[in-house]
Amino acid sequence: MIVIEDLRKNYGDRKVLDGVSFAMERRKITHILGTSGGGKSTLLKVMIGALKPDAGRIRYGDMEITNLQGRQLDPYRKKIGMLFQHGALINSLTVAENVGLPIREHTGLDDNIVKIMVKMKLEMVGLRDFEELYPAQLSGGMQKRVALARALALDPELVYFDEPTSGLDPIVASVITKLIADLNRLLGITCIVVTHAVEEAMRIADKIVILYRGKVLAQGTPGEIRESSDPLVQQFITGNPDGPISFRASSKDYREDLLIG
Amino acid sequence: MKDLFGYAGRKFILYLQDLSSLVYLFRETLQQSLVLLRDGKKLREAGILKQVDEIGTQSLPLVLSVSALLGIAITVLISFQLKDMGALSYIPGFVAVAVFREIGPLITAMIVAGRVGAAFTARIGTMKVSEEILALETMAINPVRFLVVQRFVALLLALPALTLAANFTSLLGSFVFSSTRLGIRADTYVREMLDVLAFKDIYSGVAKAAVFAVLIVMIGCYRGLVVEGGAEDVGRATMISVVSCTLAIILFDTVMTTAFYG
Repeated sequence: MIVIEDLRKNYGDRKVLDGVSFAMERRKITHILGTSGGGKSTLLKVMIGALKPDAGRIRYGDMEITNLQGRQLDPYRKKIGMLFQHGALINSLTVAENVGLPIREHTGLDDNIVKIMVKMKLEMVGLRDFEELYPAQLSGGMQKRVALARALALDPELVYFDEPTSGLDPIVASVITKLIADLNRLLGITCIVVTHAVEEAMRIADKIVILYRGKVLAQGTPGEIRESSDPLVQQFITGNPDGPISFRASSKDYREDLLIG
Repeated sequence: MKDLFGYAGRKFILYLQDLSSLVYLFRETLQQSLVLLRDGKKLREAGILKQVDEIGTQSLPLVLSVSALLGIAITVLISFQLKDMGALSYIPGFVAVAVFREIGPLITAMIVAGRVGAAFTARIGTMKVSEEILALETMAINPVRFLVVQRFVALLLALPALTLAANFTSLLGSFVFSSTRLGIRADTYVREMLDVLAFKDIYSGVAKAAVFAVLIVMIGCYRGLVVEGGAEDVGRATMISVVSCTLAIILFDTVMTTAFYG
């Protein structure tokens, strides 16, 4: 279980996380959905230990991640993988070197074994022929798949996905979605996906959590979310431009703003 | 007036924060360097020789041409006065001391700060902006060990070597100019130079180069690591990096010259 308890984070006056609490089960796929600026990215950063919350805690097994600092986080980080939104591959290293990097860093394995492991990971994402290329020579979708191979290099128990399908063509997006489902069903990897792709979440998630203005708006199975009577939830999952969620992010009164300006 | 004090105070606090972070980065770099030097396999993977080639060998043409020209320029400058006094034979000693103690280490460090220090900031800053550094941290890979240490070791080897090469090239420039245009005989030039030049002149210059190497790597990498935002911020960080490197080099140069010869 990953338990998030009353997480709070402010940037200046803006409450980005305003008392977020929910739990995610191991060996399941959890999708965290939300509008842009709803606190998804901040929550993800706190979960990987890159950002300290102002209050609240996150527990993973017997580790309390929010209490750990610097190198204390290493044991946790060796158990997790993370797929960044734009891949975040090291540009100066080839595809094979990128995927092999965590293996070389954290195991004393022989070079030939590392090479075989890299080939296996790249085969999983269908890019075995691209070992010697550099990230800049790949398309966005390919970079993301290489990054996924890297995230899986050390056979993590838990993988975080940051917008795994955004900016990809529909076919590659479905390939990635299927990969996530396979990782979970076949290898038992816990998957936590931060996204705003509702359809994809409905298709593969075991649990969906919707964040809105730094709070948990709704949580449950895709079925429960679809059946929800909350107009906010309905507007979000149907993507209706008219409804209680305004696309305007400004808090000042429009007329007042114009008159003063 | 109050605003001015507020502004100065805020700047000063920011400056102190930067300074303490720099010291922390330096300590971490030293620790991680020791770890790396003990681990043969990781040391080979770190690619220190590749870095030495990139920052040392590739700076060589620029550093050598600038130093040769400077050697000639200094010789021209002082010969103008010494010729009237019939004291041209003082040229070799003067040039040797000036070059080894001061000009060689200083100019080489300035060139390397502009060429290599700026590249460190831009490179690491871009990695920061594209989340590569966060990715390293998430993989439990220490970014200082992965990015700073090999640059630190490489420049610590390369800059003193570059400085010595620059020193000898300056002397060569001066020697060629003196013997062809001022009529100083080759053997006189060498004898006069060796008479004046002491071992201390050479090692004090090398010591300076080592300190400058530390300054360039630390400031260059630190400015890259603290970049937040986008392309514009990387550009600004690179500019600040070169300016701070230049200032720090001149400051330490003055302090060390005073300590050695004051």
